[in-house]
Amino acid sequence: MSSLQGYVDRRVLLVLQDGRAIVGVLAGFDQKSNIVLADSKERVYSSDEGVEEIPLGLYLVKGEMICLVGELDEEIDKSVDLATIRAEPIPPIRYG
Amino acid sequence: MLPLSLLTAAQNKPMLVELKNGETLNGHLVNCDNFMNITLREVYQTNPEGDRFWKLKECYIRGSTIKYLRVPDTLLDVVKEEQNRARDVGRNARGGHIGGRGAPRARGGRGGPMRGGRGRGRGA
Repeated sequence: MSSLQGYVDRRVLLVLQDGRAIVGVLAGFDQKSNIVLADSKERVYSSDEGVEEIPLGLYLVKGEMICLVGELDEEIDKSVDLATIRAEPIPPIRYG
Repeated sequence: MLPLSLLTAAQNKPMLVELKNGETLNGHLVNCDNFMNITLREVYQTNPEGDRFWKLKECYIRGSTIKYLRVPDTLLDVVKEEQNRARDVGRNARGGHIGGRGAPRARGGRGGPMRGGRGRGRGA
């Protein structure tokens, strides 16, 4: 069975259906993939400014909203200077 | 930690709820259930653009319409502590015994002098 258990207490990147990217420590989850994220920050990407990190704190995200959960390599992540990154934001999911 | 334990522990605490349509609701949690249906009191509602506001005395939100909830940071420690306590109580009630495995005397069998054992407790 596929499980998020291996990600517990690790820093993860969440991508939501509305295109938001949130990093935080996976504090818990359940069968519906609802996720508790501690110490979370939203990363706002834009093509003409550096990445902005907005602190969000303790978050409970509904499983239905989640597209992707990925473990962050903290070493690599720290070595990246977000202020120098320019990227198009991810567009929200479109149906039909 | 289960997301629903966090939510239950958030009763009477302030929280921000964003709905799938982008509306946000700020208020204190009155109650919740396993579907994440919730009631809030003293609510400030904003439209998805964030330029219009409404004040509601109380409101009910169907769980399936929620995108995420933002709760106070302090709740994490509260819930973790609660879980540790519940785990210890469970262990003691089942009659843990010193030495972990391989102390068959303390297991099974009705009555007897070792019934219940002493429990291992935490740490130490």
